[in-house]
Amino acid sequence: MSDTLIELRNISKFYGNIIALTGVSTTVNPGEVTCVLGDNGAGKSTFIKILAGVHQHDEGELLLEGEEVTFSSPRAALAAGIATVYQDLAMVPLMSVWRNFFLGAEPTRGFGPFRQIDIEKAKQIAKEQLAEMGIDIRDTEQPVGTLSGGERQSVAIARASYFGARVLILDEPTSALGVKQSGVVLRRIVEARDRGLAVIFITHNPNHAYPVGDRFVILNRGHSMGNFAKEDISQAELTQMMAGGAELEALQHELATH
Amino acid sequence: MAADTAGGADERLAYRGPIQQLLTRPEIGALLGLAGVWLLFWLTSEAFGTAGGTANFLDVAALLGIMAVPVALLMIGGEFDLSSGAMTGATAIFVILMSREVGELGGAGFSLHLAVPLSLCFALAIGWFNGTLVERTSLPSFIVTLGTFFILIGAKLGFGKLFTNKVIVEGLDEAQGYEFWDDIFGAEWIRNQHIWDGRDWAWAGLLVLAGVALLLGLLEMSYTRRADPPPWAAAGAFIGAVAVPLFGFVMLLTTDGTASNWLGGAVIAAGTLAGVATWCASRYEPVQRRRPSPDNRTMRMIGLGVGAVVVAVVLALVMDATNSDQLGFLGGGLGRAVFAIGIAGTGVLAALAATGHVRSSAPVIGVIVSLLPAISFMMTIQAARALLFGGLAVAGVVALMLVTARADLSLWLPMATAAIVAIAAFVVQAESASRKLRVELFSVLLLIALALAATAAARALAQRRSTAVPVPQMGLWPRVGAAAGGAAAVVFAVIELIDGDGLLYALSTGAAKGGAIALGIFAVGTFYRLLFSSDEGMGRPLVTVGLAAAGLALAVKLMFITTLEEEATQAVTRFRVSVLFYVLFAAVGAWVLAKTRFGSWTFAVGGNKDAARSVGVPAARTKTTLFMLVSVCAWVAGMLIAFRLNSVQANVGDGNEFRYIIVAVVGGNLLTGGYGSAIGAAIGALIWGMISQGIGFARWNTDWRFLVLGGLLVVAVIVNNYVRQRAERSQAARGDPDDDEPPGGDAGAADESASAGAEP
Repeated sequence: MSDTLIELRNISKFYGNIIALTGVSTTVNPGEVTCVLGDNGAGKSTFIKILAGVHQHDEGELLLEGEEVTFSSPRAALAAGIATVYQDLAMVPLMSVWRNFFLGAEPTRGFGPFRQIDIEKAKQIAKEQLAEMGIDIRDTEQPVGTLSGGERQSVAIARASYFGARVLILDEPTSALGVKQSGVVLRRIVEARDRGLAVIFITHNPNHAYPVGDRFVILNRGHSMGNFAKEDISQAELTQMMAGGAELEALQHELATH
Repeated sequence: MAADTAGGADERLAYRGPIQQLLTRPEIGALLGLAGVWLLFWLTSEAFGTAGGTANFLDVAALLGIMAVPVALLMIGGEFDLSSGAMTGATAIFVILMSREVGELGGAGFSLHLAVPLSLCFALAIGWFNGTLVERTSLPSFIVTLGTFFILIGAKLGFGKLFTNKVIVEGLDEAQGYEFWDDIFGAEWIRNQHIWDGRDWAWAGLLVLAGVALLLGLLEMSYTRRADPPPWAAAGAFIGAVAVPLFGFVMLLTTDGTASNWLGGAVIAAGTLAGVATWCASRYEPVQRRRPSPDNRTMRMIGLGVGAVVVAVVLALVMDATNSDQLGFLGGGLGRAVFAIGIAGTGVLAALAATGHVRSSAPVIGVIVSLLPAISFMMTIQAARALLFGGLAVAGVVALMLVTARADLSLWLPMATAAIVAIAAFVVQAESASRKLRVELFSVLLLIALALAATAAARALAQRRSTAVPVPQMGLWPRVGAAAGGAAAVVFAVIELIDGDGLLYALSTGAAKGGAIALGIFAVGTFYRLLFSSDEGMGRPLVTVGLAAAGLALAVKLMFITTLEEEATQAVTRFRVSVLFYVLFAAVGAWVLAKTRFGSWTFAVGGNKDAARSVGVPAARTKTTLFMLVSVCAWVAGMLIAFRLNSVQANVGDGNEFRYIIVAVVGGNLLTGGYGSAIGAAIGALIWGMISQGIGFARWNTDWRFLVLGGLLVVAVIVNNYVRQRAERSQAARGDPDDDEPPGGDAGAADESASAGAEP
């Protein structure tokens, strides 16, 4: 599956005189995980906000299936099949699992003013979809607030893939999770990839990125440090580049001399 | 995964009984408060429980509830509307000014056919303004609507005086088209016009139906079915549970002697017990293992509870025989003694709780129940009686909890308790001088005794359900019932219209009659399926029948008058059309919240707006719609006020916005949004109406009105909060896979006692 779904060519974004992102290029393919790595302030969030339609790029080209596009709003990006799972904003904790799963796209029956949610159907689909992702929810009526962080991310991923997402953007899904929970989320990423989705995985943890990624974009202070396929880079190199290799070497040297 | 149990039920979920499920609803606190407040005023006042008293507090509750429901929805959506109170008056003044022709500056002189829709547009515009401003500026709705609030107050007074030179705007009844709109917003039903001598029969029959249906429904939900029901079961159960009690009721109603009343009561009790026992034996699997006998401590506790009930009944009898004079403020030796006993009882309960002998939820209920009458103790002799009943209720609750919480009791103990309670009932019935004690308390005690005995019988004969109850497919009967009822409703409405009655009167009468027919068909079908088919999970239809029959019984009792009663009372009782709007709005609000996309979005924008927006919920539109919903309801409330009085003061409705919010909070709505219920808000309004009117009925010094109101509101909120915390905890417990036991002694214990109490 090498038909390129999304291609970015020298994308740049300025906030006034601040250069948030400059000259970033990469490709996103179906059935592949593209990892975007970078330290705090590296431009990761600007990068995903351009893809998700929250912001629009100022320079460069964004190609969707070979055609140049600009996403004017999150809805436009969603309509193009690009779903974003934000780290904290994904769920309404006091609402039940099935309501969260279908929020904004509830299946209905009836007509006119008597149109109401088809609750039985919604519950059944939510349960099936979650089971397919390997999440066995006991009762879809339970509030999302009672789920663990990893389960919540999993529900969000299942939801995005059910609603026809072709590209799944995951914003730091593992940063607030423990080791075991992170493993659960990484497994979901692989499962989504195997179903043919293009996954964009944003993280600052190369240990999480390397095992699942097929392609790595490394950002540092708004600049692209490169765009590597997995076979071209090792985990150690990745870690080093991410923190700004030269700086890290200087730091190591400095620490060693003391 | 069990595909037949639709809705994703899972075999790993522990079965939760019907009452347990009820206890996790947001409205439950308000519902308990409602029952408590009603009981308090019913006991302390003769007039409160009558149709007149009901019409009185329903009217107050209705005007409040019409607004409390949308305000609750808005609160769930995470916003407030401080202009909602002023808006009710503003729409009323608007419509009058639009229709007037005379005055300093004149008026628009519109016909009401134009002025009323115009005022709706005016209300919608204010709602839209509020919503849009809140959304566009992202300012707190508190500030924005505070501005609207002052604008409306100023506009009401300013325009009112500008046009009429007075602070009161009047003359609606002179406007064109008044009759048509008065039929809708000013309609009222005068009770004394509706004489029906068969009323007592009808409502007693409906009550029996309700009791039987509820009892069977709860049994059906709680116990597992036997695979091969013996054929004699249906007939035996039917005769025992329906025919014999009906015969007993006829005896009770047609005779007035003590001996025949005794006999009638005994016949009812025997028939019901026999019916329940036959039913359980035939329909449900018997329990396999032998149960151990209870330990000594349990026995002592039960003895204490039963003893307390007996003491309370005896005291009530003594008090009732000598209640001719006013007590005054703690006056009279007897009053002091009663008060001391009440305090001592509370103390004993507290001590027992502290040593772990009583479950910790018992003293909470006990303290609340005994404190309520203590407040009233300053006033009258009736208060003393209320205190006694408080003690009685506490003792009864403790006894019930102890009996039902011990799952391993053998059959004879609850049966003995039931017998003692039944004997107490008959003693009260035979010996008391007060009609209230003789009739109502007798029935209540008898019902408690029956419920106890039925619980014991069911427990001994049946096996607890361990899996979820399947939801039965919607059968033929509800559809036939709905179709027939709907057709009948149309026919009856047309007949009433031809008779020249008002539009709303015709519609509601038609709906009521059609509804009764639909219920009848549905009930017959449900019982038929229960008795003669092997369908599982008939619990829910049965409970539906029971609740509907109980509601209908209450309506029949309140809305009709017998010839005897008409001769006895001269007072005219009016049910106003506001009640109809109130019920309608509560039902629509509940439906919207639970079943529609808009309801889901409301919860979502209140719970986590950014998340809702990121998945494509139109958050701004949802909130603006909610604000406009409030303004539409304010318009309805304004029209009701205007057409009732035909004149409106400039300050009408000002300050009510806080009442709406308080009532919504009492009803279980979270101040921070994202959680709550429309029905809860409607119940909250009912509580407020009962308290504010009940104080007058009980002839307490009305100077204390706000003290009592405030105190009871605080209690309501605390109870509410307690119940909600429990609900959330038990939900959290469900989410934990490794935890078979409910966490925390308190929550677990409360759940257990609740589930035990659930079995009839």
